Amino acid sequence: MRLRIVLVLLVCLGLSIVESTIPFLLHLKAARADLLLSVVLYLALHDEVVQGAALSLCAGYISDLTSAAPTCLYTVLAVLTFVVVRLAGSAIKTDGGVQSAAVAFAASLVHSSVAALLFHFVAPASEGLVLKLNPIFWSALGTAIAAPAVFSVLRRLDKALVPAEGTTLVR
Amino acid sequence: MRSLLRRYREPIYVAFLLALPFAIFAAKARKPMSLNPLDRVILALTAPMEKAIVGVVAGVQDGWYGYIALRHVREENLRLRRDLLHSHADTSSIAELKGENERLKRLLQYADRQSPTRLLVAEVIAVGASPHSHVLRIARGSADGVREGAPVIAPDGIVGQVTADITSSYAVVQLIVSPTSAIPAVSQRTRARSTVKGVGDVTRCKLEYALRTDDLQEGDLLLTAGGPGFFPKGLSIGRVVNVSKKPTGMFTAAEVVPAVNFSRLDEVMVVLDHFPIPTGSANASIGAPQ
Repeated sequence: MRLRIVLVLLVCLGLSIVESTIPFLLHLKAARADLLLSVVLYLALHDEVVQGAALSLCAGYISDLTSAAPTCLYTVLAVLTFVVVRLAGSAIKTDGGVQSAAVAFAASLVHSSVAALLFHFVAPASEGLVLKLNPIFWSALGTAIAAPAVFSVLRRLDKALVPAEGTTLVR
Repeated sequence: MRSLLRRYREPIYVAFLLALPFAIFAAKARKPMSLNPLDRVILALTAPMEKAIVGVVAGVQDGWYGYIALRHVREENLRLRRDLLHSHADTSSIAELKGENERLKRLLQYADRQSPTRLLVAEVIAVGASPHSHVLRIARGSADGVREGAPVIAPDGIVGQVTADITSSYAVVQLIVSPTSAIPAVSQRTRARSTVKGVGDVTRCKLEYALRTDDLQEGDLLLTAGGPGFFPKGLSIGRVVNVSKKPTGMFTAAEVVPAVNFSRLDEVMVVLDHFPIPTGSANASIGAPQ
């Protein structure tokens, strides 16, 4: 189990590097995928509660660190996303593919909106909170496209580790 | 009691994991960021990898553009030679205008309060990991003299300011389109003052505090107004679009298209030293007999 935690954290670090470099190299303006959000979604749908929440917190912390966001903004959002998706878990059953893309798209829309709300708390605009729908939509689309790949990586990791460690995940 | 705790162990644990970062966010969100040792270790691990990835891809791109994709070089070379001749003609007329400007400045005892600035060229190695962040990471850090708040510019205009995320070799730059950014601006055409504020959209900023009585027009170029703690004076911020003059109220609503294309920045310049000269001393030095 410890090996899995370490590997998931390494995957998070690797994805944060991919998130930082690929949009820069491809000159992407808007359709940027939130890969660490996909990790949180996978954890919420496949992991134990305690371990998943802790790993989500770590994923959020890495996102915070590499985004120069207000302290703990993405950490709060990651754990909150984990809790919400976990509570809705019985209604959401996905093993990847199109289903995971749909879940990631919806989660990213909500995640971005809540992020904008919390950002407004830190840097209030003079005319009040205004949600910029265009970047939120494109970011959600990018996340939806990337989510099946992230799910696939994590599922392969779990498949490789389950026989070795004898662990049983929730679903 | 113990059995109750055991029974609700998971919800209590998750509630704690949610409450802890939220408490830190509520307490520290509006305060300047600071890196703890763990942050520094993680950034020291990830930044060189990002630099290596970008370096490898840039090397491949350079190879392609430098050796393989050279089919139209001859035509381009001829066009560039023609452009160069035009540029020489422009340069000589600019030199004349510059001399005339200098003479007029002395006559008017005009003080250019802009001190010479020291610029440091920095390679951009990554963008912020989250799609909602508006930051760049540059391969220059405190060891190169980069400090928090240092303005960062590009040939086309201003880029942003260095945040507190600085290690010895790397620094994070908050772009002017970030919602936390606000820059005093002046119109090049009318010299009317306003503030350009980021709204979290990489293609647009918002113009604030532009007086309704000012003659603000579509396409007006906005420049930095300068001042202590801000960008050096006279750098391009962007052009005004979507001007909407309301019949009432003090201010005109408008948007600003940034002069810099943030998705195509390979190198930027960090302004290391920029201290506006005090008015009195500037006037004294300009006005002194030469």
